[in-house]
Formats: sequence, structure tokens, C-alpha cells
Amino acid sequence: MKKLESNRLNMAVVLTAIAVAAAGLLGWVNGFTQEPIAQKSAQTVSDGIKSVIIGDRDIEFNVAPAQERNGFVFHKVTDAAGRTLGTAVESTDPNGFGGNLKIMVGFDTEGEILGYKVLEHNETPGLGAQADEWFRQSGKTGRASGSKLSDLIFGVPVSTGNHNIIGMNPAEDVMSVSGDGGQIDAITASTITSRAFLRAVNAAFKELFGYTAADAVSGASY
Amino acid sequence: MNYFKTITDGIFKGNPTFVLLLGMCPTLATTSSALNGLGMGVSTMFVLICSNAFISLLKNLIPDGVRIPCYIVVIASFVTILQMVMQAYLPELYRTLGIFIPLIVVNCIILGRAEAFAAKNNVLASLCDGLGTGLGFTLALTLLGLIRELLGKGTFFGAEVLPSTGNMLLFVLAPGAFITLGLFIAAVNSFKNKKA
Repeated sequence: MKKLESNRLNMAVVLTAIAVAAAGLLGWVNGFTQEPIAQKSAQTVSDGIKSVIIGDRDIEFNVAPAQERNGFVFHKVTDAAGRTLGTAVESTDPNGFGGNLKIMVGFDTEGEILGYKVLEHNETPGLGAQADEWFRQSGKTGRASGSKLSDLIFGVPVSTGNHNIIGMNPAEDVMSVSGDGGQIDAITASTITSRAFLRAVNAAFKELFGYTAADAVSGASY
Repeated sequence: MNYFKTITDGIFKGNPTFVLLLGMCPTLATTSSALNGLGMGVSTMFVLICSNAFISLLKNLIPDGVRIPCYIVVIASFVTILQMVMQAYLPELYRTLGIFIPLIVVNCIILGRAEAFAAKNNVLASLCDGLGTGLGFTLALTLLGLIRELLGKGTFFGAEVLPSTGNMLLFVLAPGAFITLGLFIAAVNSFKNKKA
């Protein structure tokens, strides 16, 4: 078959036909992937709620329908008898190292932190991306990149202090990094990520309970 | 037309990453681990094979004046299909590759093969070319990811093999990507020069 000539009619007809066919194909694929995608994202949220409120405990629980307020999403969790176990809050801080840092954090009725989970992040792999684990571990010795070239490549030993936030209560504890006058040691070489993470925790608490200890100490500069 | 040679050319003599130096953005950005490199390579290979086959099939129907927009529509459709299917069935991989999946549309390897090969050859040859180039890209990305992950995190496809005290974080970060790629290209060039 000879190649179609490049006149105005041919070009318009062919490009339109290809675009329409592509749109039809995409519509068809969207038809059968839509449901699994929605299911997967609902599954991620319900797994997250379980892990930040219930943890390893083997108890029955119910999750109330999600409530949205000022950009935060609240999931209230009750036990089988209807008593409130706590609330899981989805909170986003826009100033992570690479953009949005979205976490889910669980508070009991007194405001004590039960657990957290990083839902979305754009942090540096190996550095800021450790936020997922860092804030639930107590201090240990690690290695971080330093300023000298050899330190940058092989790392320098650092002893890291307290950075476990589980069991803390933002109403009583100042939840900011130690360099900013708080009680929590930042992820080594990732202060920006640590600040964004703690801002997200504090903001979630504030939206839920109305105030934090950090407000009294440092005003807005945590 | 030697179909087998078309495939091996894409992997070795015309390797898109180490020889042609095409598609550098996804190469440098997604190879922070072997699994990410492999995922990106296979995703690109899927799009490359499908778009090569379709463009070859439609080559006589597409007037020269609008060929680039037509190619882009075809490529973008396959990328979007890949994105939706991956989101539905491989959400973990989608989470790590995230923004780089839609960017496959502008990967110059794909448009390059469409223009240079698929628009001039029959469907079977174009399929082989897509497969070969895709395999070459996948191989390069997996190798880069493997070495960066091993030096930077001490792991091999996620399994810990080196003690974490000797990790060179630099290799997981952007500079490590350039250093590793540079060394690979040097090695390939020295091998080629010796043969010539």
C-alpha cells in the first residue's frame, strides 16, 4: 500500500481517527482498572488506621466514616463495646525536603501518640526516607555523612539520642527537633524532613485537640 | 532482515544507555535500587514494544506531515494504559516509580525508535527492535541500580549483604548516579576500542 499523501484532509482525518481510537482504548482500560485502584487506596487507608491505632493488639474495632476538616482527614476508632480507642489523622506538610510529606498519626483520647505511618513522601532515599522507621526507634549509634570528603563517602559515627515519639503527648511534650528547643533528635543529616514530619504531627494534634505544648514555648517557630 | 541480529544490536552494539546515551533522565533518577531500575526498564520495554508494533502497522496510513503528533498519541496511550494497570495491580512499584511513569512519554528512546526504525520496517522487525532496545535499557538500568544499591545501602535486591557501617550514601544520591554511569560508559568504550 502506498503512503497517504500529506494533504490537509488526510492529515486531519488520520490524526482525529488515531486520537479517537486512543481515547476509546483508554476508556476501556479505565473501565476495568478503576475499581481495583479505588479498592487498593481504600485498603491502604484501612491498613494504616489499624497499624497506627491498634498496632499488634488482637482486638475487634470499628472505624467511623472519615471526616474531613481543613485539609485533615479524621478516622475515629471505637472498640466492640463502642468506647473510643483513638483517632487516626491524615496530615500533610507541604515543606518536606522534596515537597509534600503526608503522614497518618494515631492519638488516644488523651492525646498520647499510639503510632504513625508515612503515607506519601518525596524525601532522599537512605536519609529523609528513614522517617518511616526513625521516629519509632529509641536512640542507637549510627553513621551519617559529614562535611569532609572522606566523611561524605564513608560516613562518621554518631550517637543518636531520643527520637521515639510513640507514647509522647504533644499537649505535654514539646514536639520539635532538639536543635529548635524540642526533645526529639532529628534524623541525622535530614533536619528538614524531621521538621516537616513533626510539623505534620503537631498540626494534626492541634486540629484534633486545639493546642500543643510547642505553642507555649516557641510561638510559631517549631 | 536478520531478526535475531536486530534484537542483539539493541542490547549490545546499540545499547540505548551505554552506547547511544539516550533516556538519561530516567536512567539517573530511578536507579537508586536494582528493583527500581528493573521496574523502570520493564515498563519502558512494554511501551517500546507496543508503540513500535503499532507505528509500524500504521506507517502507511499516517501522512508525513502529522507523523510526530500521531506517534506521540500512540506512545502516550500505551504509557497511560501502563500507568493505570500498574496502579491497579502493582501499587507498591507504582509508589516508588511514581512520577517517572508518565514521563516515559517523553523518553527520547521511544520516539527515536519509532522515527528511526518502526516507520521504515515491517511489524515483526519493529517488534524485535523494541524487544532488543527494551532489553538493553532494562539491562543497563538494572546493572546501575544493582551497583548503586550495593555500595550505597549494602543490599542486593533488598536483601542485606554488606554491613551497614560501610555504606557510601553518596551512591544512592544523585552524584552516585553520574559516577556509576560514567564508569560504565568508560568500561564499554574501552572494550569497544580494544575490539576495533
